[in-house]
Amino acid sequence: MRGRTAAIAVSGLFAAAVLGGLAARGRRRPPARRTRRDHAARQLDWGAATLAGSVLFDSAIEHYRGSFEHLGMYVPLAVASASMATSLSGGRCPGQLRTGTSVAAMLAGVAGLGFHVYDISKRTGGWSWQNLFYAAPVGAPGALSLAGLIGLAAQQLRSGDWPSDQQSGRALAALASAGILGDVAEVWLLHFRGAFHNPAMYLPVTVPPAASLALAGIAVGAGRPTLQTTRGWLWATAATGLAGVGFHAWGVHRMMGGWRNWSQNLLDGPPLPAPPSYTGLAIAGLASLRMMEDRHD
Amino acid sequence: MTERYSGYDVMSKRNGPSWNDKTRQVVDDRLATPRGPRFFSETEYRTVESLADRIVPQPHRVDPIPVADLVDARLLAGGQDGFRHLGMPPPGEAWRRALAALDAEAQAAHGANFRHLSSPDRDGLLHCMHEGRLDHPAWQGMSSQLVFTQLVAKDIVFAYYAHPTAWSEIGWGGPASPRGYVRTGYDRRDPWEAAEVKDGDAAAAIRKNRRVR
Amino acid sequence: MSDDPMQTPRATKGRAPDVFMPGGWVPMREYREDEKVDFVIVGTGAGGGTLACKLAEAGFSVVAMDAGPYWRPLEDFASDESHQSKLYWTDDRIVDGLNPLQLGSNNSGKSVGGSTVHFAMVSLRFRPEWFKSRSKLGYGFDWPLDWREMWAYYREVEDALAISGPVNYPWGPPRPRYPYRAHQLNAAALALAEGCEAMGIPWTETPIATLSAPRGRARPCVYRGFCVLGCSTNAKQSALVTWIPRAIAAGAEIRDLAMVGRVEVDRSDRATGVHYHRNGNWRFQRARNVVVAGYAIETPRLLLNSASDRFPEGLANSSGLVGKYITVQSNQAVWGTSDKEIRSYKSPPSLALTEHWNYEDEGKDFHGGYCYMSQGPEPQLWANTLLSGRGLWGDALVSEMQNYNHVVGLKMVGEMLPQERNAVTLADETDQYGLPIPCVTYSWCDNDRAMIDHALGFMGQALRATDARDIWEQTDDTCHLNGGARMGDDPRTSVVDADCRSWDIPNLWICDGSVFPTVGGVNPSLTIQAIACRTGDRIAAMARRGEL
Ligand SMILES: Cc1cc2nc3c(=O)[nH]c(=O)nc-3n(C[C@H](O)[C@H](O)[C@H](O)COP(=O)(O)OP(=O)(O)OC[C@H]3O[C@@H](n4cnc5c(N)ncnc54)[C@H](O)[C@@H]3O)c2cc1C
Ligand code: SF4
Repeated sequence: MRGRTAAIAVSGLFAAAVLGGLAARGRRRPPARRTRRDHAARQLDWGAATLAGSVLFDSAIEHYRGSFEHLGMYVPLAVASASMATSLSGGRCPGQLRTGTSVAAMLAGVAGLGFHVYDISKRTGGWSWQNLFYAAPVGAPGALSLAGLIGLAAQQLRSGDWPSDQQSGRALAALASAGILGDVAEVWLLHFRGAFHNPAMYLPVTVPPAASLALAGIAVGAGRPTLQTTRGWLWATAATGLAGVGFHAWGVHRMMGGWRNWSQNLLDGPPLPAPPSYTGLAIAGLASLRMMEDRHD
Repeated sequence: MTERYSGYDVMSKRNGPSWNDKTRQVVDDRLATPRGPRFFSETEYRTVESLADRIVPQPHRVDPIPVADLVDARLLAGGQDGFRHLGMPPPGEAWRRALAALDAEAQAAHGANFRHLSSPDRDGLLHCMHEGRLDHPAWQGMSSQLVFTQLVAKDIVFAYYAHPTAWSEIGWGGPASPRGYVRTGYDRRDPWEAAEVKDGDAAAAIRKNRRVR
Repeated sequence: MSDDPMQTPRATKGRAPDVFMPGGWVPMREYREDEKVDFVIVGTGAGGGTLACKLAEAGFSVVAMDAGPYWRPLEDFASDESHQSKLYWTDDRIVDGLNPLQLGSNNSGKSVGGSTVHFAMVSLRFRPEWFKSRSKLGYGFDWPLDWREMWAYYREVEDALAISGPVNYPWGPPRPRYPYRAHQLNAAALALAEGCEAMGIPWTETPIATLSAPRGRARPCVYRGFCVLGCSTNAKQSALVTWIPRAIAAGAEIRDLAMVGRVEVDRSDRATGVHYHRNGNWRFQRARNVVVAGYAIETPRLLLNSASDRFPEGLANSSGLVGKYITVQSNQAVWGTSDKEIRSYKSPPSLALTEHWNYEDEGKDFHGGYCYMSQGPEPQLWANTLLSGRGLWGDALVSEMQNYNHVVGLKMVGEMLPQERNAVTLADETDQYGLPIPCVTYSWCDNDRAMIDHALGFMGQALRATDARDIWEQTDDTCHLNGGARMGDDPRTSVVDADCRSWDIPNLWICDGSVFPTVGGVNPSLTIQAIACRTGDRIAAMARRGEL
């Protein structure tokens, strides 16, 4: 069955990316003493990898649903796997390769955005709720760009091209804040489509916006909220992302035929791999906070 | 006729998620419909066969759909449509009268019973019947046109398209519960639907259709 | 004992089938036959099922009877056209007139849940002016109801059924947002939209009573497209899975396979209960009030069959209008073949529609309005359409059927005008219960034909604007039954008042599609349910005031 083959292929890609990335990472011993900068960089790696992983599976499912009608639909799968692998390998990955994949991810995301916008505008009804709900999701490719950007930041930070200071921290906080907000818009749209039929569906449109707001406060240097509060919101957002997978798995079970009817329900039910994008972005946000603290070093 | 859905067999989905137990039971029962007349008499049954042969011809099929048996089974079970025209008897009785009337018409026009006529002669009579131009006393007041469109041809057509072979022929997705469909827009096909032969490439369609579960 | 729900009643021994679980049961209150229940309701469809729920929730004791079986859709419904004809009312009926109706699959159901078990779920509100079509639009009859009040009851029903609909509805006065979001359009619906855009008129996603997200124990639609053959997933929000479970939870008793043959009326002209046939015997249930909700053929038939010395013309018939003014809707279509694969067997059949000609009065040479929607016939229905509508049989039919996956069509639901000659009467023959069967006479009028011509012309143009070829017109179809016991302000010209209470017998009520004075150009079930909700509230209010 084609669905099964595709599922195996994508899982293979994922496994290869994870194992490849981690193997590269493990090849050399870590430096004796980690600096905050290292910690932040590593955290950014994790954030980028999580985000890329989410994009990999989500685009695999959505594009499988779209029957991979043209070759371009494979691009996000390839780029997201590469970006995951390089992010996981952390500092062990040659700088140029790392930069290359990150830039590719950013570009692929922008191109995807363009494709999706084009797809909607040429459909009957144009920018209608119907197409916003059911056509190619406008915001989704943005996550790939974000994964690229965060990956790039990690690398620049590690290589010292980018100082780990207040200013960089703020910039990164702004990025994470905007990213989370974009994600919130997407989640709101899809949960609105689902008529918020389960109260838990409000969670991902309340907690992450709070985190985004807090991060924005940090980014503009408003002095409030405290790093501590912001960190709390970010952890909550990260947890929301993980819990989302569980909720969505429950959602698939609630569809007709449940998991036995996976060939329909994985596609029509709530998307399993989508929620961890929150986790990825929240981790990046946490990294930005760590950078802000660098002055205490 | 070239097959439009080469290699597609809706029965390949029988054990998959598209069929529930009730559907399996209903279709299995239909496929196990006993052969030969039970409601009709032997001669009536032969006439029904010769009618079905013109209304839903299946000349090249190795294993033809047993249309007459399916019609017989429905009438035996007392199947009703829920309405009949003033002056029309209930379906079973109307069928018998119609078969007798067709024989009477055939005798009058060609000197033989309906089932013994050539295909063109049978078609000719059926055309007249469809247009309501048959009015032998044997119709006993029934409109031949109504009997054609709302009883005889209708029951035969329903019987034919109640059979999985006909479903496969037209590329219908078939039973669909609990699994329904995901891809529903223009030119979209789920992997568990019939693939159409496109641009003469039967091999591609066959490959896809073999994977339908 | 047989476990065939068509042979042996299921709702007995203090329990009723749990529609959400194969083999499951829910506890159900039962009433003795010699106990005078507050209400006995005949029929559990859009009207009776809804009213049973409202009355039970208002605290009345309710027994609701249905001649049909009590299904558990998850285990009883096959994905099969022939088999599912078990949902239809196929008892013997005679049709007559210049345009005899096709009944059976086309019109009425026989199940707990009534015709909603196999309806197409299209859930539209009346255009406000239709409630006063005589005074506002110059044709038909005025209803004794106010549209603003109905607007609130429509809302109640839309909530109860979690209607999936567009975020903004293009026509009529503002309405609140539908509880659930619209479904994804299938190809057939996209073709409707394309046609409308080419013709420069608005279209929208059809508000429809099937779930686009889970709800309670019901699962969302899987787009299997068998809706008019019964929904085996419970996504369809029929009375069977919405109002009736609520009614039972509130203490109502449902009696399945219970055919009511006669309403008994005493010397003081008050109904005392109903004679009904169940388990092979005629029985009698006493009641303080009787509600007849058997739909536009069975309701008049029962009233006529209940004739007595004091009411020789049948019950509630002092106006002579019982059985008169039955009104169906025109259901003509244009069909074509697209180069694209449409495969309209997927998804509920009518996911998109336009009500343009319901709300636009300019440029019409007829009274009334119509909407039209996308279609999705399953194979048997389609083959029969080709046979009866296009006259195809033989090789022509078998080869045209090969285009099945490319067929695209638009179908109207149009307002036919009420005429006194269109009527339900009793025939001499009797049915399996020994009751005289109904004879349904129907003829179109010039206005009906003018509207059909307009619609066929317009839909044809719209379809031509898509890539469809080989376009042809299906000219003979009708759908939906209404009228036969209409409501009004005047006992001389109507059978019931605005509260569905019969003028002649104060404790006899009629609450179903038969109370419609006019039908409007939209499918009727939402309005039937809204009227039932209103009636429930009115009865509760009257009871509080001691006016029952
Ligand atoms: C194929 C089809 C598609 C439809 N699609 C739509 C649609 O998309 N939208 C829409 O709004 N409407 C649609 N309808 C119409 C809609 O279903 C009906 O208008 C509505 O259900 C009528 O409600 P009712 O309460 O008057 O009667 P019903 O719902 O028919 O209920 C009547 C019940 O009474 C029972 N009954 C009758 N007589 C007796 C008796 N003597 N004793 C005991 N029980 C009795 C019957 O068994 C039946 O269950 C459709 C109908 C059909 C047939
Ligand atoms: S398409 Fe949806 S509503 Fe219709 S039968 Fe299937 S699941 Fe039920």
